[in-house]
Amino acid sequence: MSHSPSAGGKHSVGDFGEARLEGVSMIYEQEGEEKLVALEGLDFTVEKGKVTVLMGPTGCGKTVLINLIAGYEQPTTGRVFLDGKPVQEPGCDRLVVFQESALFPWMTVHSNVTFGCQVQGMAEREINEKAKAILKKVGLYEFQDKYPSQLSGGMQRRAELARALINDPKIMLMDEPFRGLDAMTRQLMQEFFVQLYEEEGRTNLFVTHEIDEAIFLADRLAIMTFQPGKIKAILEVDLPRPRQFKVMATPEFMKIRSHALDLLYEESSKALAAGQKSAFDLVGALASSKDSCQVPQ
Amino acid sequence: MSNSTSIAMRPAKTPSGQLNILCKKLFSMKNLRGLISCVVFVALWQMVIVFDIPYLKNLPFPHDVAANAASSAVTLEYWMHWALSLFRIFVGFIIAQLLGVPLGLAMGISKTFKEFSFPAFEILRPIPPIAWIPLAILFWPTRELSIYFLVFIGAFYIQVINSMQGVQNISVNLKWAAFSLGAKPKDIFWRILLPGSLPSIITGMTVGMGVAWNVLIAAEMIAAKGGLGRTTWESYTNHNIPFIVVGMVSIGLAGSLCSVLVRWVGKKAMPWTKKF
Repeated sequence: MSHSPSAGGKHSVGDFGEARLEGVSMIYEQEGEEKLVALEGLDFTVEKGKVTVLMGPTGCGKTVLINLIAGYEQPTTGRVFLDGKPVQEPGCDRLVVFQESALFPWMTVHSNVTFGCQVQGMAEREINEKAKAILKKVGLYEFQDKYPSQLSGGMQRRAELARALINDPKIMLMDEPFRGLDAMTRQLMQEFFVQLYEEEGRTNLFVTHEIDEAIFLADRLAIMTFQPGKIKAILEVDLPRPRQFKVMATPEFMKIRSHALDLLYEESSKALAAGQKSAFDLVGALASSKDSCQVPQ
Repeated sequence: MSNSTSIAMRPAKTPSGQLNILCKKLFSMKNLRGLISCVVFVALWQMVIVFDIPYLKNLPFPHDVAANAASSAVTLEYWMHWALSLFRIFVGFIIAQLLGVPLGLAMGISKTFKEFSFPAFEILRPIPPIAWIPLAILFWPTRELSIYFLVFIGAFYIQVINSMQGVQNISVNLKWAAFSLGAKPKDIFWRILLPGSLPSIITGMTVGMGVAWNVLIAAEMIAAKGGLGRTTWESYTNHNIPFIVVGMVSIGLAGSLCSVLVRWVGKKAMPWTKKF
């Protein structure tokens, strides 16, 4: 299944970005503390050209998984591949959008977005052309001389998306990128993300706590177990694309949602027993999703 | 443009309107209250002398101080003391920044370097700069050099600690993001670590400047030829009491002038901290 406009025999962006983790364990040991098994014997493939959404209770290792693919951390055992090549260090073929904004506060939007091009030594003129195109695409062209602190939350996330997209990464790693946005902005960002994906067909790994966000965005929904983190189940989300918000009111959506919630509930209960607050997060997600379910008619 | 706006705009454009606005600014409630506090302060000062309050009767009259200030301000000697003190601050402070910032950054960047250097640093740091005065006089060949050194000590330790913490407080996500985007170590230093620690470095300068003035005045009183601290001390030994107060006020003014300068530099160096 491909939504990307692949012209003739040429490669499109969705033909890349298959991230594969093989027998990956991640164990943190600190002196005087109990060792923490974040991931254990994890096998997982992020399929190319699709949006894979990762859910699971807090502390199940979702961010660790992102860090491993990004190359920020190395697994204790096992191996990580991108398009068949082992991941050894961070690189601009795998770009991360972080939980809290990781825009550089001391750079203007333009400098932030072109940071990758600049440090890679691209020519000034080419940089400015690319920047213009991408800033227009995310609707920040008029704001390119502002500093991040002068932007709203939604604009900051779009600037961060632009900073990644300008480098044409093979896979986008989204670590709860819309967390902390108000409900309206969040919904707009979700729509923006879906449109962007449906236009480009770029491979995405997306972490979220919001069940409705997860199903609305996903082609595949992976649910993780609580410590040690493994993949518990993968649900195929075959809702039609292009997707619109009203898909949330369809019986197909509700069916996937209730299945996913059952799976999540088991894991969050385990987490609660382990003294985690994640089960409360789940309760929160349930409560908030009840409201949002009635919106699209 | 509607009629009402143009009427509202008019007063500001005519000279009398501008005067009106100036008067309003000048005689605002805030300024009036400030003025009252100053007047009350001077009045209290005057009364303390008039009513012969024990221990305080040696205070000079406010008008004597004012007269002394006016006659001092026209002498070249008075301004030479200013120049001497400012120059000493300038030399000691600049050297403290030139050595303190790189050392602090290095400690913040390299854990190994920090483990080597920080313990020795921490033994020396709690010593108040003024406690260095005897040793400084002893081992520097001239008094002038020992004063530069003392000012340097006053600003140096603070800057090292601030620069170090500035680097350490930069979020790891920013460094990771930069690495992902293809930054090499030199880019990380010049584009991430240095600007990221700048707010902390500027704070180090502001605090360091305050301490530097404290140390300078103490050192001048004990060891210097000339300077605001010295001339204030000498007017004590010469029993020129009004000038003691003039000297004190001059030191305060010089110190705040330097603080304003540091803050200005900070604003220029960090355009992203202004909101609009």
